[in-house]
Amino acid sequence: MKKIALKKFRLTKKVFSFPYILFLLLFVIVPLVLILINAFLDGDNHLTFANFKTFFSSPASTIVLGNSLLVGVITTLICLIIGYPVAYILSKMSSGRLIVLLYVLPMFINFLIRTLATKAIFIAMNVELGMGTVLFGMVYNYLPFMIMPLHTTISGIDKSYYEAAQDLGADKATVFLKTTLPLSVSGIISGITMVFIPTISSFAISQLLSNGKVFLFGDSIQLSFEQNLYGVGSIMSLVMLAFVLISNLIMNKFNANSDNVRRSLW
Amino acid sequence: MKKFSALLISAIALMICLIPLLAACNGQTSSTGARGADTLVIYNWEDYIDIGDNESGRNNICDDFCAYYKSVTGRNLNITYTTFDTNETMLTKVLKHDANVDLICPSEYAIEKLLTAGLLEDQAAMYAELKPQLDSLGVTLDGMSSIGAGDGNIEPDVMSVIKSQFGAVKSGDATLDMTRYMVPYMWGTLGILYNKKIISEEELEKYGWGVLWNIEGNEQLENKILMKDSVRDTYAAALFYMNEYDLLPEGYDDIASAQDLINITDDAMLKAAEAILTEQREHISGYEVDFGKDDMLNEIVYADFAWSGDALWAIEESYQEDSDYDDGCFLGYYCPTGTNPETGKGRFSNIWYDGWVIPTTVRNKLAAMMFIDYMCRPENAIRNSIEIGYTCAVAKDALASNDDVLAYIEDQEYDIDEYFDDIGRYPTINSSLGVMRDFGARNDALVNMWQRAKSGSGVDTSLFIILAVIIGAIALAIALYFAIQALRLRPRKIG
Repeated sequence: MKKIALKKFRLTKKVFSFPYILFLLLFVIVPLVLILINAFLDGDNHLTFANFKTFFSSPASTIVLGNSLLVGVITTLICLIIGYPVAYILSKMSSGRLIVLLYVLPMFINFLIRTLATKAIFIAMNVELGMGTVLFGMVYNYLPFMIMPLHTTISGIDKSYYEAAQDLGADKATVFLKTTLPLSVSGIISGITMVFIPTISSFAISQLLSNGKVFLFGDSIQLSFEQNLYGVGSIMSLVMLAFVLISNLIMNKFNANSDNVRRSLW
Repeated sequence: MKKFSALLISAIALMICLIPLLAACNGQTSSTGARGADTLVIYNWEDYIDIGDNESGRNNICDDFCAYYKSVTGRNLNITYTTFDTNETMLTKVLKHDANVDLICPSEYAIEKLLTAGLLEDQAAMYAELKPQLDSLGVTLDGMSSIGAGDGNIEPDVMSVIKSQFGAVKSGDATLDMTRYMVPYMWGTLGILYNKKIISEEELEKYGWGVLWNIEGNEQLENKILMKDSVRDTYAAALFYMNEYDLLPEGYDDIASAQDLINITDDAMLKAAEAILTEQREHISGYEVDFGKDDMLNEIVYADFAWSGDALWAIEESYQEDSDYDDGCFLGYYCPTGTNPETGKGRFSNIWYDGWVIPTTVRNKLAAMMFIDYMCRPENAIRNSIEIGYTCAVAKDALASNDDVLAYIEDQEYDIDEYFDDIGRYPTINSSLGVMRDFGARNDALVNMWQRAKSGSGVDTSLFIILAVIIGAIALAIALYFAIQALRLRPRKIG
């Protein structure tokens, strides 16, 4: 019996995907199903819709969600405004790759330690902890995620495009606007995705850099689970998931529209 | 689609297989330890026991207990010591039957909750069951208050409060006396840890709980206050403040004692508390549960809503050789009691107790009972108390009349009279101090209130401003570009 089974087993390409499928099942599908089940259960494990009512009828949910989305949008915009010129300039430099490494270097240190250090610096500088410091922390943490894909995309653009544009009489600004910018859209899209989605769900940065005064959606989810409100916490997680999916869909749509070769680090 | 449903089915199947497996992982322990030794599994707060000191050669108190256990029973004992950081973490585990432990040390309301759920052992009954074995070993357990032989070594005042509040806890159809199920370990109050350089004693006397709302409008204190990131404690602070400043909702005008106030959780009170806590956000630095002591010591903040034990620990750490203050410490602890001189309303605070309980999952009953008794001995209680800063529940008289205890206090560089007369350590137990019960089904409403209070009254307007500025800047840059472009390309006159 065993022999036959062994004979049948062949080391194909498929086999190598099994560990990943198992991982996916264990740590993605199973928790998702658990969250879905918990959303419909009350404290005594009875079927209920009360959790939905609690969440959707409370103005606090909208406030927290609104704050989180705004923080996400602002962080993404600031990262893009800072990150694009950096990526652009670095891609024109011969030592650009090395300098990009410098930007990524802080990421090798755990983000909690970095955030705590940032907090200590703010306190030493007598800066009042609040929304400003939280935004700084977010931008600081997620900037490399914006620069990396942008740098890869921009440095991958064929030089002959610029040369052709220049030959045809375009000045520097026009060359940038008509060639570099359109050709780097895919980088911008993946940069935005990499920054926006983690920021709307982050919680430790806001908690640490504002002493818990800035209360974002991630904090709210954490509090619910901590206080044994698994039902409401699960619904919040689902709402979060919906937002992640929606933003992913929008980004993909954009990306499909740009006829660029998708080229990014990730 | 077929693939997806197959995936889903296998996921569910996997889940069913895994749940018992995960539960088994949580079990942590087996009933017999290495080489047939007995085991004892303790589940306690973090930093809540004397773990010894390498420099002075003091042992971990658990090791000392193991030695004592061996000397009495002749058997080896392995102690598995696990910790929790909040009552809720502990409750979630124990209520879901995920903790196979012999001893737990939660707060009084959590004990009530466990008792109501029928998860605790009656220690008096257990004592009767173990009596023959104990007699043959020559052990008496007379330090314990739960075995039906008086208060043991425990402070009678502490016992009478617990008896009056938790003497008749409903569990199903039965009415149970919680004093038979727990032995108090540590107790304390809630109050204000303050920096003497910024807040004077007169100000504390004048404003009481108002200090945490900076009602005085002290500019140095503004945004330099920390509150507890814990719903029950912060809610209590809101109640005390509302009572002191006559802000309670209608119908609650003349509350005579803290006990009457502290357990009100109806909708009107929650709403009032939410408004008060939302208002407080404007004046405080933030919420903490762990870094408050350090921030006070580093003078990053000047007032912290604190538990007495944490406060006493911080005060000792704030000692400086060349200090302007009598005791050499720049931090102080104030537990507001009495009346507010301006409003004439009572100042109340919270008194809490943590105690040892034996859950129904107990395996080593003898060791569990002996361990509690060992903790109730004056010489051991003082070790724990001095190490962690909290007040032990062992009677003051029993401590003060024990020569070993007095020697130990002096050895740790305390003045004996000062140690026992410290009002922060040994407050007067009277009607100004109330015990917080388990809020039961109202707890969810309380947590929802806390969520709302923490989210603030509306979406942060500064975010809109920042967003508008960024978008404005981008628009300006684009407009500028086109303007320059237009200027450059404008038709020029020749000649």
